[in-house]
Amino acid sequence: MTDKRVKIEKADLMKSFWRFILAFQFGWNYERMQSVGYCFAMLPILKKTHPDPDDFKEAFIANLNFFNTNPVVGAPLILGAHIALEEAGASIDTTEGFKVGLMGPMAGIGDTVVWALYNSIIFSIGSIMALSGNVFGPILVILLVFFPYMAVRYWQFMWAYEQGANLLSSLGSGAFAKITEFATIVGLIVVGGFAPSIVSLSTPIQFSKEIEIGGEVVTQVVEIQAQLDAIMPYLLPMLITFLAYWLLKKKNWNPIQVIYLLIAIGFIGGAVGIFA
Amino acid sequence: MSNILSALLLALWAYLCMTDMLGTSFFMGFRPLIAGFGAGLIVGDVQTGLMIGGTLELMALGVYNYGGASIPDFTVGAILGTFFGKGGNYEVGIALAIPAALLLTQMDVIAGMINNVFVHKADKFAEVGDVKGFDRMMYLFSHVPYGLSRGLPVFVAVALGEPAVKVVGTFFDTYPWISNGINTAGGILPALGFAMLLKIMPVGKFPAFLILGFVLYAFMDVPLVGLALSAVAVSLIYQYTKNQKMEA
Repeated sequence: MTDKRVKIEKADLMKSFWRFILAFQFGWNYERMQSVGYCFAMLPILKKTHPDPDDFKEAFIANLNFFNTNPVVGAPLILGAHIALEEAGASIDTTEGFKVGLMGPMAGIGDTVVWALYNSIIFSIGSIMALSGNVFGPILVILLVFFPYMAVRYWQFMWAYEQGANLLSSLGSGAFAKITEFATIVGLIVVGGFAPSIVSLSTPIQFSKEIEIGGEVVTQVVEIQAQLDAIMPYLLPMLITFLAYWLLKKKNWNPIQVIYLLIAIGFIGGAVGIFA
Repeated sequence: MSNILSALLLALWAYLCMTDMLGTSFFMGFRPLIAGFGAGLIVGDVQTGLMIGGTLELMALGVYNYGGASIPDFTVGAILGTFFGKGGNYEVGIALAIPAALLLTQMDVIAGMINNVFVHKADKFAEVGDVKGFDRMMYLFSHVPYGLSRGLPVFVAVALGEPAVKVVGTFFDTYPWISNGINTAGGILPALGFAMLLKIMPVGKFPAFLILGFVLYAFMDVPLVGLALSAVAVSLIYQYTKNQKMEA
């Protein structure tokens, strides 16, 4: 085979990047998830690297394979590296294998870092501001979404393109594992503190009994919540959170089932007056 | 503003929020805080938008459709809750937002199933190498099922719902135990978000950090920003000492 390598210009990269930004998850479906959006972003590149019409059709078809990863941290990286592989004339087997190999691990990292960690922090701060009537709550969140998301997607895309075939060894070099571990630890500490600050459950139950002290009848009120707080603050919120975690993790419940159970517990408990 | 106009604008907002979620991710419009804020601007009652959006956001914190799992539709919940809660009816708004979010969970599933059409159309375009046809499908149609899955319910509920909501409002006044139940349920719903976060994190490997976070907040009253900064510091120290050990 003759060398048909085509140079990818900055303009081609930008075209692909903007298509990715506009429509990466448009047409998301259960059958192949982000496949059409991924293909949409790759097409300007594939057209250049596969000048032969039959070659191009083959690449077009291959790029409609199942694909799913985190759209903020993950997808731009895979896309950038894939473009570099295309430029180097890699075969479809290579590029598809590369995509499949990276999308799972990147989804795990991206979901943890972006959704679980970063978003939970900025959105809880924004919500607490909003609840005190401060318009800057949501505005702050929008700013903290727009600029970092754009920057992180652009840098990843360009960095991965420059790394190209070296990407896997760069990822394996430990720098990436370090970042993930760092984010995981921050995430666990934050979740440990955020959970009691946001999940709210208490009990208004109290018992009163009349006891005789030295001939005098005194009414003594025992508040269950005060007893629980003496054992450990936020005991009930923690128990309910671990119940939900246990059902998801060990009993394989899906989130919707858990939500119905939580609503049942909360609604009945609140209506009857054992919880508040 | 007539109800039809509000219905149209709010439906458009819902559509835009979904498009942003699927594509641009410029403002995370599908999150209830943002969806409620935008709805507040549209109905001319930003305060209600902030209250409804903020309340639902805290309930849905950490709840994302990881790997395509279906989750309650807090986006539409926040928009409808803001519309029906405007003018000081916060209780009514929140009481409607939660059931609406749950009822509409299935809309997301339906849209994702309808979208299977696009992948089969795309296969056909690919076989003949028709980039133009594929691009047209992407630009014009590929966002429609998700957009309408949120836009249509918002339109219908806002256009038709106000008289029904007045009835609901008096109903809640008559039976306060229902509001108690809904408020308590709202308080524990965030447990799901945290459970989902814990499920995707290596809790078993690093239980110490989870405990540390809990202790900082529950026993020492460290505010949230302080908590986040402590977390960064602890994580840096952990990695620093680990590296030192490895070098030694």
